[in-house]
Amino acid sequence: MVSKERPQTRIGRSLRIGRLGLSLTGSYLGYQFQNLFLKESERPGKRTAFQKSAAQRIRKELESLKGPVMKLGQILSMQSHMLPEEALSELANLQMRAPAMHPTLARAQFKASVGKFPEEVFREFTPEPFAAASLGQVHRAVTKAGEKVAVKIQYPAIRTAIEHDFKLLRSVSLPGRLTGYTGLTGPATEAMTAELERGMLQETDYVNEGRNIDAFRERLKFLNYVCVPSVHWDLSTDRVLCMSFVPGEPLPDFLARNKPSQELRNRIGIRLLELFNLQLHRMHQIHADPHPGNYLIDSDGRIGLVDFGCVKKFSQDFIELMRAFEERAWLRGDEHVRRMAHLIWGLAASSKPQLARKLMDQAIAFYEMLFPGASGRTAIVDFGSDKVLKTMFRIWDDTCVQTKTVNPGFAFYSRAEMGLYNLLHLLRARINTSAVLEKFYEQIDDHRKLVC
Amino acid sequence: MMLGHRTKQRTARKARPESPGKRAQNKERTKRDILRAALGLFSKNGFFRTTTKQISNKAKIAEGTLFNYFKTKEDLALYFFEQELARLTEWYEEQRDLRDAGLPEKLFAIIHRHLERISPYEEFIGAVYLRALQPVSRLSLLSLESQELNLRYLRFIQQILRETEEKGEIPKIGDFGAYAFGLFHLAIISYWLQDSSLGKENTLALLDRSLKFANSFLNKGWEW
Repeated sequence: MVSKERPQTRIGRSLRIGRLGLSLTGSYLGYQFQNLFLKESERPGKRTAFQKSAAQRIRKELESLKGPVMKLGQILSMQSHMLPEEALSELANLQMRAPAMHPTLARAQFKASVGKFPEEVFREFTPEPFAAASLGQVHRAVTKAGEKVAVKIQYPAIRTAIEHDFKLLRSVSLPGRLTGYTGLTGPATEAMTAELERGMLQETDYVNEGRNIDAFRERLKFLNYVCVPSVHWDLSTDRVLCMSFVPGEPLPDFLARNKPSQELRNRIGIRLLELFNLQLHRMHQIHADPHPGNYLIDSDGRIGLVDFGCVKKFSQDFIELMRAFEERAWLRGDEHVRRMAHLIWGLAASSKPQLARKLMDQAIAFYEMLFPGASGRTAIVDFGSDKVLKTMFRIWDDTCVQTKTVNPGFAFYSRAEMGLYNLLHLLRARINTSAVLEKFYEQIDDHRKLVC
Repeated sequence: MMLGHRTKQRTARKARPESPGKRAQNKERTKRDILRAALGLFSKNGFFRTTTKQISNKAKIAEGTLFNYFKTKEDLALYFFEQELARLTEWYEEQRDLRDAGLPEKLFAIIHRHLERISPYEEFIGAVYLRALQPVSRLSLLSLESQELNLRYLRFIQQILRETEEKGEIPKIGDFGAYAFGLFHLAIISYWLQDSSLGKENTLALLDRSLKFANSFLNKGWEW
């Protein structure tokens, strides 16, 4: 039986995580036992049923734990090669299905943070949330001046819970246990966990998120197809964020309700691709929480960006690296390959040259597939096929197994990039990616000189 | 002549008999005035450092009159809790939105409202808690006065739990539920008193998670 409630203490959570492991093991043993009596032909179906059931169990358990464990689930769902497809689809739902604070708690937390109850500062305030986030939930409200706003309220004491949870995660090696994947141990896991912890603690600071919103709003204002909310600083604190209301529906809802034409799907896809590269190459930072619910689409294909808690800033070296990939720098010789391998995986060029070459070949093949225009094959990439996602999963898998180390910044980038391809896959967009990129680079000529 | 007229008027007023209801109302008003004056002084000087003389001065009554109403500061504290309980039950009855809420939210709302009400008197509450630990104190849970008040509180909670039982939201737990919640309420106040987190959000988290856990436990037993 799976509880909908969240265990209250660290001990409770330990027990819950232990129970998650035990119950999965139990089910798996049961499955193995049953397997003895099944005919060969029935086994694959049974295995799929088991994986689906285990995936649902993991999702429900992670939902009830919330906090970092849930976030880890989201990240796994975005970029993990480690889980079967059934699990990926379940984990992708985590953020949207987070259990809500009841209205009395949301109201109390608002008062604890702002100093007044919502009804004292807003003309209208809807007690029930309209969207859930991993660290809080979002309510509709109308300011005293009559403006529609979205008010994000954080779960109480979530920062303390996150700090405790990370201690716990480290002590039980949860990533390995959840996935049964033993390759991710040691320094690679620690570096990624540390990066995840840093990012999550930063996400708990809504003042920081408000600053990110201001920065993105300013830098993206010239794009007429992007809408970034504005922050009402007078009604915001580190745990409550009041923003202008962004129109549109979350991408999955938009697709389900509007049945958009292929032309509109392609247009949105091109915009998403352009937006991603613009953030990376012009702003040197990306909106790194690529959950489909964070992209609100309207009927004209305009994109509303929400949830700026997780923004990843990149070094000049890193930007250079990604540009080098997209411009096929590997054609320039081994020295470039070694440098890129060092930036991504931290591989000492002299110690593992063969490994570096092998991994780089995989990455090259991936980007050749993604930007095929230059190689003379068809220029249109069909994201309706899951080839891009699967190839990326496989590369990530090999990387983790063979290098046991990865640049933590790359982990975040990889998550965001995988999120982008996931969005394009949902859209079933068919895009001439090389042409989009070519046009994009023409617009940012200043950056060309940075290419190695 | 004029003086005589005034004297006559005063005598006439005195002569008018005060109805028992009116007398009780006046008495109650004086008690509330004294309590208000005392709470102000407790917040400013602390419970232990505030004297009955200071209270009577601030309430603008003679010290002897004060003793007619409250024999000790402990009686004042008991009266404070009695008043708070009355306000709390009245407030709860007025909350239409809570009628359809789940049990954890209802119980959360009760404790949260109570904490909101007593938050201006944190030092006073802390002092009362310390005093209540002494078995001979009238504030002790063992004193008959405290038990009388406690019984009123338990009946209030019992009523909410019974309604929830009747709706089938929780299994039958009898009077144990009200007792357990009463102890939990006291424990939360103790935690709240020493909670130094911003806006006392740690208390909110503890309260919410504990109530949800308890509700889940009631419904699913050890299968949570």
